[in-house]
Amino acid sequence: MRHNEIHFVCVTRRGVVCQIGVEILVDDPIDAAAEGADRPVLELESDGFAELYQAHSREIFYLTLRLLGETHKAEDATHDVFLKAYKKWGDFRGDSSARAWLYRIAINHCSNLRQSWHNRNLVTGADESIWENAAAASDSPLRVLETKELGQRIQKTLDALSDEYQLLLLLVADEELSYDEIAALVGQSADAVRGKLHRARKAFAAHFEKTV
Amino acid sequence: MKQQTKLTQKQETVAAQQTQSNPAREFANSDELLRFDAAQTTVPPEIARRLEKSVGDLQEPKTNWWQRLLGGTD
Repeated sequence: MRHNEIHFVCVTRRGVVCQIGVEILVDDPIDAAAEGADRPVLELESDGFAELYQAHSREIFYLTLRLLGETHKAEDATHDVFLKAYKKWGDFRGDSSARAWLYRIAINHCSNLRQSWHNRNLVTGADESIWENAAAASDSPLRVLETKELGQRIQKTLDALSDEYQLLLLLVADEELSYDEIAALVGQSADAVRGKLHRARKAFAAHFEKTV
Repeated sequence: MKQQTKLTQKQETVAAQQTQSNPAREFANSDELLRFDAAQTTVPPEIARRLEKSVGDLQEPKTNWWQRLLGGTD
């Protein structure tokens, strides 16, 4: 439903301030909210922020889902990441790609969350050397008979790896990120990333076989 | 340079159909497996709705300056 409202508008141009009264037709806020209740898209008037969400929410949600392991945690984290991004959107200078910038916020956010959980619960670190020397080679194909529970198997596998390996594997799976961007995100050189990825893939393959 | 093997929407559809007819799948490596997993993951629409509300809460109240001056809230 729409109704008429009288608004006073201040216009400042070249030092001249004028005040005018205008009658405009505005949407009733309750009806507007109801109309958009089943619309998944974000409608914000903030210089392309809605487009940013549309373009990158999928990879940010996937990263948080696999780093945090639970859908409701990933939902909260994705919301919080984009809210942080919204607050900083005006300061984003484009030194990195928007994708890498969002990944940076998401990685820091998930890292803080996981650190607080680790502090509350004693967690033993994964011993990667066992799996790096396991029979499975990183270039062996991964066979999957049933894709229905594939997500659970992947989560179980990632959970068995170190935080560093998890992050590297998830980032490198995003083809839009270059090795240089991944290296910057994890704070290492591109060569170091390539070396660790080889071991991470091998560890993943070995763990994945055990999850059948 | 990373190898570009991005799944197009058409390829994803074909992959999904193949999955239904033949449940056995083979992935060359963990990158391909995670990419497939990511492509199957959908973003819950609830996040956009929550975000829209949170952003709205951040913005200043929409009371006009002259209403604030007169002490009104509507």
